[in-house]
Amino acid sequence: MSDVYVVGADLIKFGRYPDHTPAQLGAQAALLALDDAGLTVHDLDVVYASSTYNAASMIGQQVLKQIGQTGVPCVNVSNACASGATAFREALIGIKSGMYDVALALGVEKNPKGLLGPPPGTGPSPEGLFGSGTTPAMFAEAGMVHSAAYGTTIEQFAQVAVKNHHHATMNPKAMYQIETPLDVVLASEMIAWPLTKLMCSANVDGAAATILVSDRKAREMGLSRAVRVRGSALASDPYQPRNPALLDADSVTRLAVAKAYDMAGLGPDDLDLVELHDCFATAEILHYENLGLCGEGMAGALIDSGETALGGRIPVNVSGGLLSKGHPIGATGIANIVEVVMHLRGEAGARQVERARIGLAHVLGFSAIAGVCGVHILEKA
Amino acid sequence: MVNQVTALPCKPATALVQVTEAGEPWLRGYRCGACAAVVAEPTLCCRACGSRAAPVDVRLSTHGKLFTWAVVHRSFPGVAVPFVSAIVDLDDGLTLKGTLRGAAPDTLHAGLLVEAVFDDAGGAIDSDGAAYVGFHFEPRAGEPA
Repeated sequence: MSDVYVVGADLIKFGRYPDHTPAQLGAQAALLALDDAGLTVHDLDVVYASSTYNAASMIGQQVLKQIGQTGVPCVNVSNACASGATAFREALIGIKSGMYDVALALGVEKNPKGLLGPPPGTGPSPEGLFGSGTTPAMFAEAGMVHSAAYGTTIEQFAQVAVKNHHHATMNPKAMYQIETPLDVVLASEMIAWPLTKLMCSANVDGAAATILVSDRKAREMGLSRAVRVRGSALASDPYQPRNPALLDADSVTRLAVAKAYDMAGLGPDDLDLVELHDCFATAEILHYENLGLCGEGMAGALIDSGETALGGRIPVNVSGGLLSKGHPIGATGIANIVEVVMHLRGEAGARQVERARIGLAHVLGFSAIAGVCGVHILEKA
Repeated sequence: MVNQVTALPCKPATALVQVTEAGEPWLRGYRCGACAAVVAEPTLCCRACGSRAAPVDVRLSTHGKLFTWAVVHRSFPGVAVPFVSAIVDLDDGLTLKGTLRGAAPDTLHAGLLVEAVFDDAGGAIDSDGAAYVGFHFEPRAGEPA
């Protein structure tokens, strides 16, 4: 099958938008991406729209009501924090099938406020009676497995937040653009040991959009700013004996990334940058090993080495990541891809990864009972 | 505290807890006859091996080992903090999440021997005034508190 290219990619500044509907936010991102591609709504053959909380209300069609009701099909996707990656992948598949030449893959979210956790059931609330179902507790428990096995320290987890908050100071579309040194990270409110508040992702609204086109359309448009999709994988959490009592971020990520590397014919040593799902600081440490950026048990040493900071061997989350750019859930999987595209084009400004040719975007989604992981590998055309 | 509840009848605060006609609470899991995987909730087929024979309910051991934990300092409004959210491997193969009481957080370590102790689910009662029965984990006798 022929190649698929990303020819438009952009996002709105992440933050709180109390006076906007999700459709209005999504429409802004869609227009930014269309303008970036030099296309209009009339060029679109199909829309894949991701929103974890709004997909059931036909978010794609609502966006078209804002930017032009051309009558093209909309596929509305909800797949936890991997919703955006799922929409992007479906757009890729649609174009590869030969059905479409130009697709909009869009992610938008207005997040619920406060601590996210499971929906209420019957009987007394389980929170506190049967441990904690809050997401920080789940990722603290997973981080403590790494800590017990390899001696990973709270300072090493905290350094992930220091790094990603530093990166965000160079990203004008990040929620926070504030230098946040180690002592500040460690002194912020303890949420679930070893996670302080600044080691938890920023709960924000946001929207991001990409335009994917067929090989034929890309050549017609010119390839000077195009980015080729080399690998794409989506995996659901395979059976693991401790799951779902223990959040298993590892097996589902390893399953997906192995498929993506295989499809691309590439491996971790080929990557110039990575945007991975740092929903909590512990997660970034786990994913260094899950994505093969270092050996088993070496993730603490990898963050200490500075190799995952901008200027290092393999910069990770130069956008600021979910920790500082923010995590509008259904938009995150598209926003990570937008960031990689900017670097491969050499248009990432102060945070540009020099001579970036190949990048990887990873997202991990979880509910109280199920998991999903999406991985995409992109290459400068 | 011993594993019995004297005020009867009690409603399970979680589907894991069952109560016999004599009022004795127990932990229920489901074991696959084909691959022996143990899960907490009933499924149509085995989610580990796909066997079409549904896993059958089994009485679980209340003994296990601490695998990992989080010390929760911020929870939902109204929930008393801090508390230890513990993930425990029961001796017969099921891993459960529960609150661990009776151990200082800075003394916790993977492998700590614990047991599930049935309790009154924080004193919760339903709209008819009936009491609930739940469970929490405690270090087993002989383990340092």
